[in-house]
Amino acid sequence: MKRRTFLTSALSAGVSACRRDPRPRLNVYNWSAYVAPDTIPNFEKEYGVRVRYATYESNEEMLAQVVSGNSGWDIVFPTHNRVPPMSAMGIIAPLDHRRLKNLSNLEPQFQSPSWDRDLRWSIPYMWFGSGIAFNRLVVPTPQAWADLWNPRLKGRLTMLDDPEDVIGASLKKLGLPFESTDPDQLRRAERALIEQKPLVRAYLNAEVRDQLVSGDVLVAQLWSTTAAQALDAAPSLDFVFPVEGFPLYCDCAVILRESHRQELAHVFLDYILRPPVSAGIAQATLTATANGAARALLAEKIRTSPALYPPPNVMQRGQWPGTLPAAAQRLRDRIWTEVKAA
Amino acid sequence: MNRLRFWFLLPAWLWLALLFLAPLAIVCVYSLLSRGTYGGVELPWTWESYRRLIDPLYGTILLRSIAISAAATAICLVMGFPLALFIARATRRKSLYLHLVILPFWTSFLVRTYAWMFLLRDTGLVNTALIGLGVLREPLPLLYNDGAVLLGLVYGFLPFMVLPLYATLERMDPALLEAAADLGARPWATLFRVVVPLANPGIWAGTLLVFIPCLGAYLTPDLLGGGKSVMVGNLVQNQFTNARDWPFGSAVSLILMLFTLAALAAFYRRAPKELL
Amino acid sequence: MKRGLAIYAAAAYLFLHLPLATLVLFSFNASRFTLWEGFSLRWYQAVFTDAEMADAMWNSVIIAIVSTIISTVAGTLAAYALWKRSSRLLSGSLYLSLVTPEIVTGISLLAFFQWTFRWLGWHLGLHTVILAHVSFSIAYVAIVVAARLRTFDASLEEAAMDLGATEWRAFRRVTLPAISPGVIAAGLLALTISFDDYVITSLVAGVDSTTLPMVIYAMARRGANPSINAISALIVVIFGAVILISERLREA
Repeated sequence: MKRRTFLTSALSAGVSACRRDPRPRLNVYNWSAYVAPDTIPNFEKEYGVRVRYATYESNEEMLAQVVSGNSGWDIVFPTHNRVPPMSAMGIIAPLDHRRLKNLSNLEPQFQSPSWDRDLRWSIPYMWFGSGIAFNRLVVPTPQAWADLWNPRLKGRLTMLDDPEDVIGASLKKLGLPFESTDPDQLRRAERALIEQKPLVRAYLNAEVRDQLVSGDVLVAQLWSTTAAQALDAAPSLDFVFPVEGFPLYCDCAVILRESHRQELAHVFLDYILRPPVSAGIAQATLTATANGAARALLAEKIRTSPALYPPPNVMQRGQWPGTLPAAAQRLRDRIWTEVKAA
Repeated sequence: MNRLRFWFLLPAWLWLALLFLAPLAIVCVYSLLSRGTYGGVELPWTWESYRRLIDPLYGTILLRSIAISAAATAICLVMGFPLALFIARATRRKSLYLHLVILPFWTSFLVRTYAWMFLLRDTGLVNTALIGLGVLREPLPLLYNDGAVLLGLVYGFLPFMVLPLYATLERMDPALLEAAADLGARPWATLFRVVVPLANPGIWAGTLLVFIPCLGAYLTPDLLGGGKSVMVGNLVQNQFTNARDWPFGSAVSLILMLFTLAALAAFYRRAPKELL
Repeated sequence: MKRGLAIYAAAAYLFLHLPLATLVLFSFNASRFTLWEGFSLRWYQAVFTDAEMADAMWNSVIIAIVSTIISTVAGTLAAYALWKRSSRLLSGSLYLSLVTPEIVTGISLLAFFQWTFRWLGWHLGLHTVILAHVSFSIAYVAIVVAARLRTFDASLEEAAMDLGATEWRAFRRVTLPAISPGVIAAGLLALTISFDDYVITSLVAGVDSTTLPMVIYAMARRGANPSINAISALIVVIFGAVILISERLREA
């Protein structure tokens, strides 16, 4: 008898727990460390909604969930060159600019970017480049992608867990184009990466930040914003954009077509386009915002940080990768598996 | 079949059909399709995934997984046998000794794997202690290699070996050992010529319970191997998430499944009484 | 030889327990680095004030309770029915499910859910995680209960039926109470397995169903964080208590 009452009370407790919160919901899936501590709570308070906010570490992680078309997310933040294929697959909802009054706050170069000329699908959020973060103890100072193949770095070097960045770095080291689709060139890049593999301690994205700060890792291929966060935590670190050239990326906010909360999603996008909000995020997370009005509000030190906002002579070496054709994308995916498996 | 038995078995049959066989069937089907560029599967039908498996590059992963799993199983056997023997032969406090093995076993696997990250990393306990004692000047790279993965696997699966061994050794008739001693055998000879053969069913059970999960291990190589020490489990997980090649991942999973079936069949023949 | 065995056993126990013990010990470390800087409860405080972790813990508890109830019922009934008359297919499948690597179970269930949901228009969520947990727990429950049934005297049931009870009544009034410690032990086992699962859960979880192991895993990948020590210590203590109770019941 006691057992039955225990079971029934447990069951009813479980069922009642499922009806938790009557407020409207919004599900946002973003990169880690991309909002300030008060960004989401302030939005929740202002609009009386509840935001389910979760984070991911790579585009692939996010795409794997979203590509099925019924993931449950409303807003995700793909990197810019994922936006065209996502819209081609029909999983992004077109944006209604009438609901986005703060759109004009974006920097001029992001008002009409190459991947989305009329901002029909995406809102540029934060931008960054890939480079090399290193500990000043390392001599000679790393300056180029080729320096990541230095045998003296064995075991203290990490590369990104991102096929585009890693294969791209190898291509650049060999003097080949970053967006190469030529199978021979890609195979050469693959061989170079397999050569490098014994030196690599691990393939890590933003996770490596703590290890750089603590000194476990001496040199890391890293995105400039993550590097800026690490540099802020440890003065012994430095960051450089390699001389052979480097990719520039922009993470953009998109609304998924499967979302039943299009209206609320637009409200959220408009909210993060507000200058104080965007500036608050950029300040707290040390990221480079695409919002020009917000950038003007930033502290001097951040506004002029060479890692976050590189000077024009550095920007010259950078390029914005476009979307690759399907066959080349598949070959790169396969090469990535082979490099990881070697 | 009588009605009671029908209703009692219905949930289990439902489970078998819907949550076990149907998923495996779908994986079979997927392995013969082509991959969508950004995930999922699409026509046409193709053998390509299986053809890729024969590629020597993937053969390396399989061989490495088998090698690490076999090593882990062997170490577990060598480490676990004396421990199981000790517990089986204990006269008092047998229950306590058994609990001391079971306790770490059932506390979270994730936590136990993390414990080794905590110990082995460059700023972890082992290195900090050794540097503090002056034995080392620079930290040793103890983490993110095959050795760390092996250690993690042995630590995680040792109780899986000890418990079946104990179960078999406990049922062993002590009179047999006395008889061997009476016939003049020395302790080591008794061990290898009497005890070990009698423990055969337990050894087979333990080997099955350690080798197969090790082969398909995902968490240990992922956390302790640094995304580098790729074993078959990591390969499969990768294909279904980041690499977005579901057909290939399905093919690899089916090969893993075949290994499992083969091991189980071999076990059935050797020690059928140990099962349900 | 006996003393050698005892010394070896002590060393083996040390190997099994020391890593966890140091983990727990350093959860009380005031410093976030591995140098001991004094006793502190700040990491426990961090754990209890973390909203994400509270959410995840809540999800884990709900999933564990619901899936345990379902799998315990299904597994017990199956074990009983198989005990009366065995079915090689079913018991073989249960064993296969037990030994199958988690990653294979996980991706097969993911494929199954994705495929069926295309017709049904459902999302991945708590329900898919619960179904997945039921899927791998049933075998454990069935085996524990089957072991218990082997020590049960079938003639007791026969006697009850001779006295006029139906099969169902005999089961409910005679057999079930006799094996109930085993059933509860199996249930506790299913509870801990469900609570601890990472691999399968991470594959089939949806938006709202982040579980505690998923949070711990994400923290572990991101680097050294003593909060993990704190939550690990709590898990070790709680699981330890549950398993001790389960073992007592199993031997009763």
